[in-house]
Amino acid sequence: MNPMPVQALKQLLTGVSGHGNQHLSEVEADLQQTALLLSEAIETLSASFNAIHAAVAAQQLALDQLLAAQGVQAEAAQPLLQLREEIGAQVGSAITAMQFQDMTSQLIGRMLKRIDGLRDLLAPLENGQTAMPRADQHEALSLLLHDMHARVRDKSQALNGGLRQSVKQQHMASGDVELF
Amino acid sequence: MAKTILTVDDSGSLRAMVAFSLKAAGYQVVEAVDGQDGLSKAKEKTVDLVLTDQNMPIMDGLTLIRHLRGLGSYQKVPILMLTTESSDEMKAKGKAAGANGWLVKPFDPKRLIEVVQKVIG
Repeated sequence: MNPMPVQALKQLLTGVSGHGNQHLSEVEADLQQTALLLSEAIETLSASFNAIHAAVAAQQLALDQLLAAQGVQAEAAQPLLQLREEIGAQVGSAITAMQFQDMTSQLIGRMLKRIDGLRDLLAPLENGQTAMPRADQHEALSLLLHDMHARVRDKSQALNGGLRQSVKQQHMASGDVELF
Repeated sequence: MAKTILTVDDSGSLRAMVAFSLKAAGYQVVEAVDGQDGLSKAKEKTVDLVLTDQNMPIMDGLTLIRHLRGLGSYQKVPILMLTTESSDEMKAKGKAAGANGWLVKPFDPKRLIEVVQKVIG
């Protein structure tokens, strides 16, 4: 074998590993940034939600006292009771929807673990970690490539085995309830 | 006297939503950040109900349930799972570990309170 193909093969493997790692790092950074933004968003949302809820509760109490002081008939207060029920229903919907951060953080965590695994998977291709045989050592070269392939396959299988999907929700509707 | 519920979840936002819903319904809430913390707080004071997540660092929900069921004071205390996990396989593991029920996230607060009331009144 001409020495050039061996050199080209080394460059190819190193390139795949190097470029792969570079892009994985970019994806990793984006995911970490996304997780931070989501975390900050839910903190702000939660604080605002609590403040709004407390203000509405205080407003409702003040209205109750006002209605009682004015001797307002129950029929006349009916629209206020309907509004109260509507607020309660919307509070419930908001609580269900605000659980997005719990699920998205689990999904992002799983993606970050897969990126770590992919980086590990690319490691056997690194030039520095793999001593290439001489161009005329065809059998040794074949064995080396076979070994690399086996290591990549094993790492891929291990990665799949260690990353069970625990979040299968496709929407934010509330989940099933089952009592044993 | 208000009944006390121990809620165990590594997500601060989820714990806040659960605590908000339970307190609004008149329950006292003790929060724990993972199974080990939950076990420690459960030992400090026997609560009326444990509501735990499954996937948490340090100690998961199933392991927490097994530990709790091993304690004399928690053999009869209701334990509910509140988790993103929805597979029959995981539910079967939960039941075998000693869970009394399984709620899949995201939860609806009204439904959560109905279940809690059904279990502990």
